Amino acid sequence: MKELLIILFSAILVDNFVLSRFLGICPFLGVSKNVKTAMGMSMAVIVVMVFASALTWPVQNFILYPRNLGYLQTGVFIVIIASLVQIIETFLKKSIPALYRSLGIFLPLITTNCAVLGVTILNVDNQYTFVQSISHAAGAGLGFMLALFLFSGVRTKVDRADVPKFMKGLPITLVSAGLVSISFFGFKGLIEKLFS
Amino acid sequence: MIGIAMIQASSILTPVLIASAIALLLGIVIVIVSRVFAVPVDTRLEDIKAILPGANCGACGFTGCEGYAQSMADGDTDTGKCPVGGAEVAGELSRYLGVAAPSFVPKAAHVHCQGTVDHTKKRYDYRGTISCNAAQNLFSGPNSCTYGCMGYGDCAAACPYDAIYMANGIAHVDSSKCTACGICVKTCPKYLIEIIPKHSNAYSVKCKNKWPGAQTRKNCTIGCIGCQKCFKTCQYGAITMDGPLAVIDQDKCTHCGECELVCPTGAIVNGLMLGQDDKGQPKTTGTPRKAALKQDA
Repeated sequence: MKELLIILFSAILVDNFVLSRFLGICPFLGVSKNVKTAMGMSMAVIVVMVFASALTWPVQNFILYPRNLGYLQTGVFIVIIASLVQIIETFLKKSIPALYRSLGIFLPLITTNCAVLGVTILNVDNQYTFVQSISHAAGAGLGFMLALFLFSGVRTKVDRADVPKFMKGLPITLVSAGLVSISFFGFKGLIEKLFS
Repeated sequence: MIGIAMIQASSILTPVLIASAIALLLGIVIVIVSRVFAVPVDTRLEDIKAILPGANCGACGFTGCEGYAQSMADGDTDTGKCPVGGAEVAGELSRYLGVAAPSFVPKAAHVHCQGTVDHTKKRYDYRGTISCNAAQNLFSGPNSCTYGCMGYGDCAAACPYDAIYMANGIAHVDSSKCTACGICVKTCPKYLIEIIPKHSNAYSVKCKNKWPGAQTRKNCTIGCIGCQKCFKTCQYGAITMDGPLAVIDQDKCTHCGECELVCPTGAIVNGLMLGQDDKGQPKTTGTPRKAALKQDA
């Protein structure tokens, strides 16, 4: 149980997927302007990550590994994630049309989001068990949500500041993202000490 | 030989079969899900959405053009709710839905303040974020009149039609570009902007100051002091007093111009603003007050 919590909190704080591992930058920059879309996007990412991990882990460990087909990992994982996002999109379009419309292009973009593929591959690389994989995926999604919310606050402030013309827009956003990312280095070593 | 070929075949065949099986299975699931969760597309909705301007401003009272289109597809026959589209869109919608076209009064936004840098003073040197909503939090802004326009341009930034500009320290709406979408009305922290009918000589009290006359006079030389001269002059009952502030009801105003002649401070003006002239000064659709006085005298 302690190990699950360590994995969860490490994925949120220490090895934050966006700010420490630099995965999923595209939706991070694209959706963090508006708090409501940020919330919707984060929920979608958490759901996709957890389900993707739940599906890809058995496929890897029961189908691919026993037959020495580890090299098929990337292709098969992408197919699974793409189908999963398609299914979630269809489901959202019918059940929660408002969320579907506000996410717009970003929902199918989660398919090619390296954060989701990253979670599934890292689960395998770190040789997690099934439950550990789910915990890792949940932590990754929650960390993504945390990064998104923090950064939307930073962006609101930056938007109102007197930015030099050549830095306006993307340059100052990327610099701010880098500075927020550095601030997360402060969490290194926190989780192990907390639970030991 | 054949053994090697068989091993090689199976080492290619097996992964191909497995990958294909996974893909096929997922494909079937997707098809099933898309059938179960299919959303019926209303063609009327798409047609109506195409007629609407697509500004998603919310002036109609619905959440964006989709909301208004949905209500009309569901049977609402009020086609005159879109001020951005105006009479043209209302006419097209009426034709599509087969209802009578609504009578349409074109409207424009109007800033009810004349407190330029010539007429007001600054109480303190504001060094914060250049935003009206931010300055409002600091003792209601740096102007001597705290009801008046601070001129930091939140409305101009919010206007999706570039119809608002800053001149002499306050905001002006170019009524020729304004579509009355209402976004600036919600943005102004002083509630100075109102949507009024677009008459070229609309009469308005360009002031929202509710202080007693003496205090107003000290802080802004062109503000309404609540002397009630206009209130007593108007024969049509279009002017009411909201405490020490006169308010002209645009629906009752007949544009006779008597109120403007009796106003001692010049708070009442006629006309809507237009764009800037060569010197950066705002143009107006109305006649200037001094010219009106000279004509009368």
